[in-house]
Amino acid sequence: MSVTASPAFLWNVERGEAEAAELWDAITEQQLADWEAEWIPELFKALQRLRRAGVPRQAWPQSRHWDWRKKTAALTGMLAHPSFSIVCRGLTQGMMIVDNTTKRGRLADQAGKNLVYVEYVENAPWNRKELFDPPRYRGIGSLLMRAAIEASRHEGFKGRIGLHSLPQADAFYAKTCGMTDLGVDPDPNYSPMHYFEMTQEQAEAFVAKGGKS
Amino acid sequence: MAAKRTMTLNLTDAEMRALEELCEKKDLNKTALLRQALRLYQLVEARIEKGEKLFFEDDKTKEKAEVMML
Repeated sequence: MSVTASPAFLWNVERGEAEAAELWDAITEQQLADWEAEWIPELFKALQRLRRAGVPRQAWPQSRHWDWRKKTAALTGMLAHPSFSIVCRGLTQGMMIVDNTTKRGRLADQAGKNLVYVEYVENAPWNRKELFDPPRYRGIGSLLMRAAIEASRHEGFKGRIGLHSLPQADAFYAKTCGMTDLGVDPDPNYSPMHYFEMTQEQAEAFVAKGGKS
Repeated sequence: MAAKRTMTLNLTDAEMRALEELCEKKDLNKTALLRQALRLYQLVEARIEKGEKLFFEDDKTKEKAEVMML
């Protein structure tokens, strides 16, 4: 598999400075091995802490059931489902799979127009402030959203993107990304998740501010 | 970004007209539209090969009609 790595930066929270990272236009065996050997053990430890602290199960990260190996295997080679990852210090910090073919816009101004739909996006457990306080790196979500916008532009979709948000991430998509919240999706396959959409103008604004909150 | 290769495509007037109409409707250029067509075709083929079926459903009546792929 040929992978293109683009230079990027993450914010190292402990040091209080930017650190060089790479955005890969793929999820490779290296990412899946990181997920199995690094992410999952850290996630289990974090869940144990939440349980011992009495945090209700509904407030645990919903993505804890995601199996990136299965997801990736099902979509490998499919042009409609490109994937992305972020690597820093040789370790995978975030992963994303998008759909650039089958989804259409719902906002009135872009109803029926093609967009890039973010199917799955996840940070490494140590970068999630609800699990690790303080998190190790910040900026992963923004970098991946920027990658989704670029993928949309590459397809001729002008930056339009859409996604269903897990409840913990609603504020990130609404405030940091400036996306429009279309509310709870009535489709029982997605409910009670909110559906968010980004217009061309919102994409331009997000990129212009450097994807920062 | 992955390297790209160029190809020449010969279309009849009717095919070109259909392509241009779709480009207008979807607000995409010809390359982007044909890329979309390829992605969709590959996706549909892969799912049919796995034993799935492709249906159109009438939004009002909920009647389903299977799309037969050759």
